[in-house]
Amino acid sequence: MLEFSQSQPLTLGVELELMILNRRDYNLTRGSDDLLLQINRKPHGFDIKPEITQGMIEIGTAVHSDVNAMLEELLAIRKLLVDGAHKLNLGLAGGGAHPFQHWDDQRIYPKERYQLVSELYGYLAKQFTVYGQHIHIGCPDGDAAVRLTHYLARYIPHFIALSASSPFYQGVDTSFQTSRLTSVNAFPLSGCMPLVDSWQAFNGYFERMESLRIVASMKDFYWDIRPKPEYGTVEIRICDTPLSIETPVLLAAYAQMLARRCFAEEWSDISAEPYLTYSYNRFQACRFGFDGVLVDARSNQQQGLQEDLLETLRALEPHAEALNSQSQLAALRQRALKCHSDSRWLRQIHEQSGSLNEVVRRQSEHWMYAPAGVGVN
Amino acid sequence: MTVPIWHELMLNPLAAFGILLALGVIGGQIAVRVARLPAITGYIVTGLIIGPYSLNLLNQQLLNEASIFVQLALGIALFEAGRRVDLRWLRVEKTLLATALLYCLLVFAALYALLNGSGFGAPASLMLAALGMATSPIVVLEIVRESRADGQVSERLLTATALSSVLAMIGFALALSYSHLSANHTVEEGILLPGWLILGSVALGLAAGLVTTLLNRWLGGHQREAQRVLLFGLIALVVGLADMLALLALLALLVAGMSTRTLRHGYTVSEPGILSLNHVFTVAFFVAAGAYLSPQALASHWQLALLCLLLRGGIGMLVWWLAARANGLSRKQGALLGLALSPLNSGSALLLGLGMVSLGTAATSFSAALMAALMINEIAAPFLTRLALRLAGETAGASHA
Repeated sequence: MLEFSQSQPLTLGVELELMILNRRDYNLTRGSDDLLLQINRKPHGFDIKPEITQGMIEIGTAVHSDVNAMLEELLAIRKLLVDGAHKLNLGLAGGGAHPFQHWDDQRIYPKERYQLVSELYGYLAKQFTVYGQHIHIGCPDGDAAVRLTHYLARYIPHFIALSASSPFYQGVDTSFQTSRLTSVNAFPLSGCMPLVDSWQAFNGYFERMESLRIVASMKDFYWDIRPKPEYGTVEIRICDTPLSIETPVLLAAYAQMLARRCFAEEWSDISAEPYLTYSYNRFQACRFGFDGVLVDARSNQQQGLQEDLLETLRALEPHAEALNSQSQLAALRQRALKCHSDSRWLRQIHEQSGSLNEVVRRQSEHWMYAPAGVGVN
Repeated sequence: MTVPIWHELMLNPLAAFGILLALGVIGGQIAVRVARLPAITGYIVTGLIIGPYSLNLLNQQLLNEASIFVQLALGIALFEAGRRVDLRWLRVEKTLLATALLYCLLVFAALYALLNGSGFGAPASLMLAALGMATSPIVVLEIVRESRADGQVSERLLTATALSSVLAMIGFALALSYSHLSANHTVEEGILLPGWLILGSVALGLAAGLVTTLLNRWLGGHQREAQRVLLFGLIALVVGLADMLALLALLALLVAGMSTRTLRHGYTVSEPGILSLNHVFTVAFFVAAGAYLSPQALASHWQLALLCLLLRGGIGMLVWWLAARANGLSRKQGALLGLALSPLNSGSALLLGLGMVSLGTAATSFSAALMAALMINEIAAPFLTRLALRLAGETAGASHA
């Protein structure tokens, strides 16, 4: 039986997976150990840890109610990392996937869990050198977490379009706004949570999977959104790591507003119908971003993703006010109105320079040095 | 038409180059598969066996004729080594610069004291000590490539290697100046020649770096293949020009590489990818380097050569071990970095001719001592560098440091 830890509803935390680059040709480099050794020489109190391959590092914020405080913490973590990276001549960058790294060059981090993942999944483990943002939202109990997970599934395409930052993969333009999610799809336990309607039902499902020896813990599910019982949260795992330091905060604010509406309206309309179109809508967002078309199985209607997002943002205004997130709501609206995305910016640089090395150089310069509020556009 | 009989057959340079490559690859594979040694060791031993001092399958004349490939290989490696030196980083990370300088200085002082004490005389000792500072860029790059090493030890190793080569060439030119002056040669020979060697080579390197950057920028990243061919052409041009102008091609190419990394828009030369084309030349380089080695030189100087190499290796391990923490490394990584610096620059042999002119009777022992040190070093050092990188956990499949 999985115990769901209680947490303060609507509190937030984000995790960001970052690229570690050499500053010669801006390819990924095996730098996580060296960087950790460097920054851990003095106690700092931040959550910074290695990821599955050694060209990655993951940072996590503390639990926040206020997204502005979250931004302050992210800026402090960035400063610590950038100081360490200077010493070692490493570059750090956001972005969902490195544009030209070769998956076979990547090295699995020597940690028991990662070695097990590598043994089980073979080359998929190295191909999992992709970079995402995870958003944790505090839930009062397991039932609320199950409800919120289903509720957020409807909005997954919005998160994809807002965060898309991996148009290039293995040296080519994929024509997708985010190529990262294709790597996640390859895992057998990816996709979405099954149609359980309570924490008890979820536990029944989990125990069955455990008895079949398919899973040992919640970490074995690579779902787009999943309950995280040990933290008492729901975790959204669909976003690419954005290129700017402040975009993760905007995405977290959006999740917080949606969660507030879910809890305030005591939403519990769990049904199979929305999942008929879940994968299709997700694909539309990955491929076309703001230009994607979403299908609503209930109303048999189609609507542009941009329009759907703008409507949702309009409906969230009272929640933004209640959460003191009006500026974040306005920034999200601007991005949606102008179809601003990190992928578009990356493609522009590539068009101008013709060089993927230059693309990564610019994205690294941006993540490391751009002041908050500048954005990439 | 008469058919030539066997003993009348003479290898032409192309056939010699073919033999160099084919036998080199076989030797390299034997080293890798049978002895689990780096392929480089196999190339060098192959050269040693077929060279003029052993089987004489490749005689001195053929070696000279194949030298264009050797120089190209060295040129490409030096350009690549130069590109590994990030001057902006060295401005921030002064510890690395200071450690590399201290290491070179101590090696120079220790080797000079040992050689002078062994009766070589000041001019020859100064020249040998200067050459002893340099770690071989081509060996280090090839080991890093072959073992797919990546990490802080590899990064600092490559920077220190390039810096040591620059210092060694400058040191050699100054020692040459001293040698000429102390041999009562003309002032022109004593000052102008070394000055020309250093300043002229640096100027040629800077000009080449500037032209490379500008042309790469003009071509643009969409013309990757054209950029690659251009780079190859410019490197060949620098090698040729340095030869025509009697300059140090080694120094010019290092400077060219460094400047393309540092100049504005240098990032347009960000991924030359030229090293992958270079492998053919690299094999030829090492087989030829082996062929130049003279086992006979060992007979008279093996003890001194061994002592020099041990001293050099010991200083390297000690200095980098002491400076490890300040360099952001663990103590173990520091000592291993010092060990990885073992390969002597076999390109130093190309400078032999310059030194011999001014040394008179000391020239023979100067040459023999250098060859003896190179002989031991070229066989042992690639293995030591690979071992160090493996123990540091930086090679593919290595255990963690």
